[in-house]
Amino acid sequence: MNPQNIVLGVIGADCHSVGNKILDAYFSEAGFHVTNLGVMVSQEEFIDAAVETDAAAILVSSLYGHGEIDCEGLRAKCIERGLDRILLYVGGNLVVGKTPYEEVEKKFLDMGFNRVFRPQVDLAEVVKMLKADIAAASRP
Amino acid sequence: MRYEPMAWKDFLTQRKSVLATWPTGKDVDLEGGLRYQRDIPEAKNFARAMSGAKAKGRTLIQPRAGVALIDDHIRLLRFLETEGTADLLPTTIDAYTRQNRYEEAAVGIEKSTAAGHSLLNGFPAVNHGLGGCRRVTEAVTKPIQVRHGTPDARLLAEISLAGGFTSFEGGGISYNIPYAKKVELGDSLRAWRYIDRLVGWYEENGVSINREPFGPLTGTLLPPFIGHTVAILEGLLALEQGAKSITLGYGQGGNVLQDLAALSSLRELAGEYFEKAGFTDFDLTIVFHQWMGGFPEDEAKAFAVISLGSFVAAAAGVEKIIVKSPHEAAGIPTKEANAAGLKTTRQILSMLTDQIICGDNDIIRREKNLIREEVACLMNAVENASGGDPIQGIVRAFAGGLLDVPFAPSIFNRGRVLPARDNEGFIRLFAKGNLPLSDEIMAFHKERLAERAKAEGRAVTFQMVTDDIYAISKSKLIGRPK
Repeated sequence: MNPQNIVLGVIGADCHSVGNKILDAYFSEAGFHVTNLGVMVSQEEFIDAAVETDAAAILVSSLYGHGEIDCEGLRAKCIERGLDRILLYVGGNLVVGKTPYEEVEKKFLDMGFNRVFRPQVDLAEVVKMLKADIAAASRP
Repeated sequence: MRYEPMAWKDFLTQRKSVLATWPTGKDVDLEGGLRYQRDIPEAKNFARAMSGAKAKGRTLIQPRAGVALIDDHIRLLRFLETEGTADLLPTTIDAYTRQNRYEEAAVGIEKSTAAGHSLLNGFPAVNHGLGGCRRVTEAVTKPIQVRHGTPDARLLAEISLAGGFTSFEGGGISYNIPYAKKVELGDSLRAWRYIDRLVGWYEENGVSINREPFGPLTGTLLPPFIGHTVAILEGLLALEQGAKSITLGYGQGGNVLQDLAALSSLRELAGEYFEKAGFTDFDLTIVFHQWMGGFPEDEAKAFAVISLGSFVAAAAGVEKIIVKSPHEAAGIPTKEANAAGLKTTRQILSMLTDQIICGDNDIIRREKNLIREEVACLMNAVENASGGDPIQGIVRAFAGGLLDVPFAPSIFNRGRVLPARDNEGFIRLFAKGNLPLSDEIMAFHKERLAERAKAEGRAVTFQMVTDDIYAISKSKLIGRPK
C-alpha cells in the first residue's frame, strides 16, 4: 500500500463535477498523489484504479441522492479483490431528502465506510484524519 | 449557417429503433399522442401559459420536483400547486433515466416501494411509460413540463409528450456538456435534432409544445455570454426543426446589475440572432433560475438567497422563475420545504409586481454592450467553423475550445476557462482558455480582476475561484480571504 496514493471520484450516475475538481486540487496540494476518476464512476472503476495504483484510500463523493443505492456492496467488492486494508471515505448529500447527519453516518458506517462526511466539512480536517488513518492502517 | 428540418422519413426510420430501446416504447404511437394532446385544455398548455405571461407582464413560478413512485409523485405535485401556489409544474426525471440506465431505475422503483419513500432523485418516466405519464398529467390542473439532464432523451420525449406533458427542457449542448462524461457532442446534438423534430411535428399539427434549453449549464460562476451563446444556438436548432415556443434561460450570478443586464441582453440578442437566421414565427420568453450554486445550510439564510433571486426576476420582468428551497444545501427538499420556497418567491413577486425597479443605468448599459460583443465573438467562431452546418460548427467549436464551459464534466469540453468575481462581484474571466474573445475584451476582464487582487493583497489564483464558489454558502457573495 502506497500511503500517498488515493483514488477520487463521484459514484454512480452523478455528474456533479465542481466539487470533484476542487477536491482534486486540494488533496494534490496537501501532498497526495490523486487518481481522479471524475464523475459517474462505477464501483468496479474505483476498485480497478485502487488496485492499479496500490492506493491507501478511496474517496467517494455523491451529491445527487442515490448514494445509498450506489455505495452498497463496495466494501465487499474491495475485499474480494484483495483490498482488505483500504480506507473508504464517503461524503456529500448521500441520501434523498434532508436527514439528520447521525442517521446518514450510521447507515454508511454500517455499509463498511471508515468515515462519512457532510458537504460542509472543512477539507483541512479531512486531510488530517486521512493522514492519521493511513498511518494507522499502515502499521503491521 | 444553413437551417434545414430533418427529413420526415429519416425521423420515422430512427423512431423504430428509439422505441425499441425499452419495452414501454411500444405503447407510443404518434397519432395517438397527437389526439391525446389535442384534448388537453388550453389552460394546461405550457406554451400558452408562457405567451400569456409575456402578454400580461407576469412572472410565473415553477418548482423542481420528482419522486420514484406515481402516487407519491402526484401527491407531491398537487401539494405544490395548492399549498405552494405554483403556476407551472415540473416532473424532474431521476439520474438513472437521464443516462438511459432503465434497469437501474427499475431497481430504484423496487427499493423505493420496499422502503416506503423515494430512493430515486426523480420520476423515472420511461419505466412508468405512457400510462404512468398520463396519470400524472391528468392529476394536476397546471401546465406541466419534463425537466431532466438527458443527453439522449429521444425515448423520454416520445413517451412524455404522448403522455400529456406540454413542455420539454434541454438541448444537445446543455444536456450533454454539464450532464455527461463521455457522450459525443455530435451524438447528443443529433438526438436533440430528433426531439426538436418531434416537437415541430406536434406544432405542424396544431399542438404547441414549449421548448426550454437549459441556461445555467454548470451553474457555477458562469459568465453570462457563455450561457447566452449556448442558449441562442440551441434556440436556433429547435426553430430549425419547427419548434415555435422557445424559453431561454439564465441562472442567477449574484451581482444584481450583471444579472439584470444578462436577462435583458438574452432576450434582445436571441431575438436578433433568430431573425438574422431567417426565423420569424417564434414566441420567445425568458426563464430565470434562482442561484444554482451551493446554498447556505441555515434555512433562514437560504430564504434570503431565494428572495434575492426573486427580486431580480421581478426587476427584469422575466416570464418565469425556477424556484429553490430552504433544503437546497441538503439536496432534495420535502414537499413542505419546496412549497416554502415557492411562497417566499410569490410574496416578493407580488410586492414588486406593479413597481418599476431599476430602469436603465450606465452600468447595466456597459454590461449589456460587453455581453453583446462577447456573444458576437463566439457566434462568429461557430459560424466560421461550421462549413454551413450548425451541428458541425458546435462540435468543432467545442473541440477547439472556442466554446468552453467552466467546471463541466464532459471530456468533450476543454475546461480551460476559469472565472472569478471582480471587486464588485461581477463574474469575469481570469483564464479564457481558447475562447475567441478580442484583446480589448480580455483587457477589461483582467483589469477588473487586478483591482480585486490589489484590494485583497493576493494574486488571482485557483484558490480565489474556490473561495468564490463557496462564498454564497458561507453567507457572502465574494470569497474574500479571512
